[in-house]
Amino acid sequence: MKKIDIACIIDDDPIFVYGLKKLMKIANFCESFMIFNNGEEAINNLTPILESGKNMPSVILLDLNMPIMDGWQFLDEFIKIESHKKITIYIVSSSIDPKDKNRLKNYQSVSKFIIKPVTIDLLGKISKELIK
Amino acid sequence: MQRSQKATSTSEKDFFLNFIQKYASIGTWECDIVNDTLIWSDETKNIHEEPLSYKPVFETAINYYKEGYSRSTIETLFNNCVEKHESFDVELEIITAKGNNKWIRSIGRPIIENNQCVKVIGLFQDIDEKTKITLELGRREQLLTKTFDLSAVGMVTLNLKGKFLDANKSFCNTFGYTKKELLELTFLDITHPDDKNKGRQAIMDMIDGKINYFQAEKRYFAKNGKTVWAYISSTVIRDNNGTPLHFITQINDISQIKTSTKKIVNLLDTTENQNKRLLNFAHIVSHNLRSHFSNLNMLLDLAKIEIPESTDNEIYPLIKQAVDHLGETVDNLNEVASINTKKDIQLEPISLTNTFNNITNSIAAQIIASKAELSINLNDNLKVMAIPAYLDSIILNFLTNAIKYKKPNEVPKIDINAEITDHLVILKIRDYGMGIDLKKHGEKLFGMYKTFHKHEDSRGIGLFITKNQIEAIGGKVDVESEVNIGTTFTIELKKYEEN
Repeated sequence: MKKIDIACIIDDDPIFVYGLKKLMKIANFCESFMIFNNGEEAINNLTPILESGKNMPSVILLDLNMPIMDGWQFLDEFIKIESHKKITIYIVSSSIDPKDKNRLKNYQSVSKFIIKPVTIDLLGKISKELIK
Repeated sequence: MQRSQKATSTSEKDFFLNFIQKYASIGTWECDIVNDTLIWSDETKNIHEEPLSYKPVFETAINYYKEGYSRSTIETLFNNCVEKHESFDVELEIITAKGNNKWIRSIGRPIIENNQCVKVIGLFQDIDEKTKITLELGRREQLLTKTFDLSAVGMVTLNLKGKFLDANKSFCNTFGYTKKELLELTFLDITHPDDKNKGRQAIMDMIDGKINYFQAEKRYFAKNGKTVWAYISSTVIRDNNGTPLHFITQINDISQIKTSTKKIVNLLDTTENQNKRLLNFAHIVSHNLRSHFSNLNMLLDLAKIEIPESTDNEIYPLIKQAVDHLGETVDNLNEVASINTKKDIQLEPISLTNTFNNITNSIAAQIIASKAELSINLNDNLKVMAIPAYLDSIILNFLTNAIKYKKPNEVPKIDINAEITDHLVILKIRDYGMGIDLKKHGEKLFGMYKTFHKHEDSRGIGLFITKNQIEAIGGKVDVESEVNIGTTFTIELKKYEEN
């Protein structure tokens, strides 16, 4: 099975990032990671990467509640980058508030809303969807 | 020739006199003191409602005057006229031959011969209508004055420039001015500066006759500087030619209502804010708790994969269980929060029979295992207004509870019946199980995290959520229960009514 090259995780929770990385390794989800602790850090680093087109992550797992720049603000900035459509975004949140799900309808480039906790099964499904 | 001419002229004079008497309603009378005779003119007889053939009698004529004030007055005046030679002119009441009460004016003058009064001649005028109108006007005037003075509503009259012409007690009390002080002021002097222009156009229009009255809420200042909120109603008074003369304005002091309204609005604001904060708090709590739960859950999964030996002990499964419970609790909290925040709930007609069939199918395993006997007596056409997911959850919870809390060593028996009223369906779910001691637990029954039975599955959230869901769809729930006899839940739901 073909493997995802780079997966990008944007989340401020170190335990979640630690756990997700471990799970991804176990699930053989991707070759390498790109980790950012909040939206601002992510947008600052991703912009030049997207513009150059080199080392682009194929998927972003985005948390919503983060300090400095949250997931929504990140999305607003991210869709301004021209080549943003090449990257699939999954929202990974603890929020089960239907308001958040509805708000997502405004963003076409976001594929799915995943509610934590993330499991190995779930990673397998995402992987299948992406490689298709 | 001359005589006859004179005779003609006398009869013309008489005719003329009669003419005047008739149309002016003025009669004449002549009283001969010496001979004790009395003569009435035709009109005088008319006024007394006596026939023209009537011959008045001196001694009894006075009896036409109404007993009491009228009669005693005329007696005195007549005597004074005869003895002291004083003329009189008086308005009194008589009772006519037909028994009618009438106001008349009687004028008498003595004829003196040799310093002796020999005759009293006089006029007799019917002033009944005029007097009655005057009296009625007087009564009305008094009524109006009293209304004006004693009204609980503040009332003033103002000239066209807004200067006070009159003010009643209530107005003076409300504003703390004496009437005298007010008469030196204009309406604008006591009007709140922000409201001075309010109604200016209306006042112009009222003077121009475009509108008849004007009502508004305005602020004024009392003498002590306090703001007075008033509801005023103003109208213009005109003379016979339609020229505006002055304004009459009524002022209702609504300061107290305004203050109370303000308090209520403030309270409402505070409550709404508190509610918002609570909701916000609930969201934050459930969100944050949820992230911790999912991290714990993930770490436990990881541990199982990465360090399997660490899970092979007594403690790991307990930790796993505790974490699962935490997850459930957080989910429950979220559910409750979402029920209470849903706005504009759309209810749809749902068949009760279908709902019960679906639920009993979905818990078929439980029913079979417990050998539960369900007796569902519902009309197939019965529909209630609800949210499908809520109704499912409500019925599911009551049924599973009824099975769960059966008597030990007995099969659960559940009766389901419905009563129908004008707008409601009253669903009764009765079990013959353990029952609940309502004296001990009644108040807490529908509370959060209350369990009353030491049952392995008791979580104490079910009834709380169920009650919230029932209320969210406009229903009510009540319970009757006796320990070891059973429990009946009565659920009122909105009936679906076809138009």
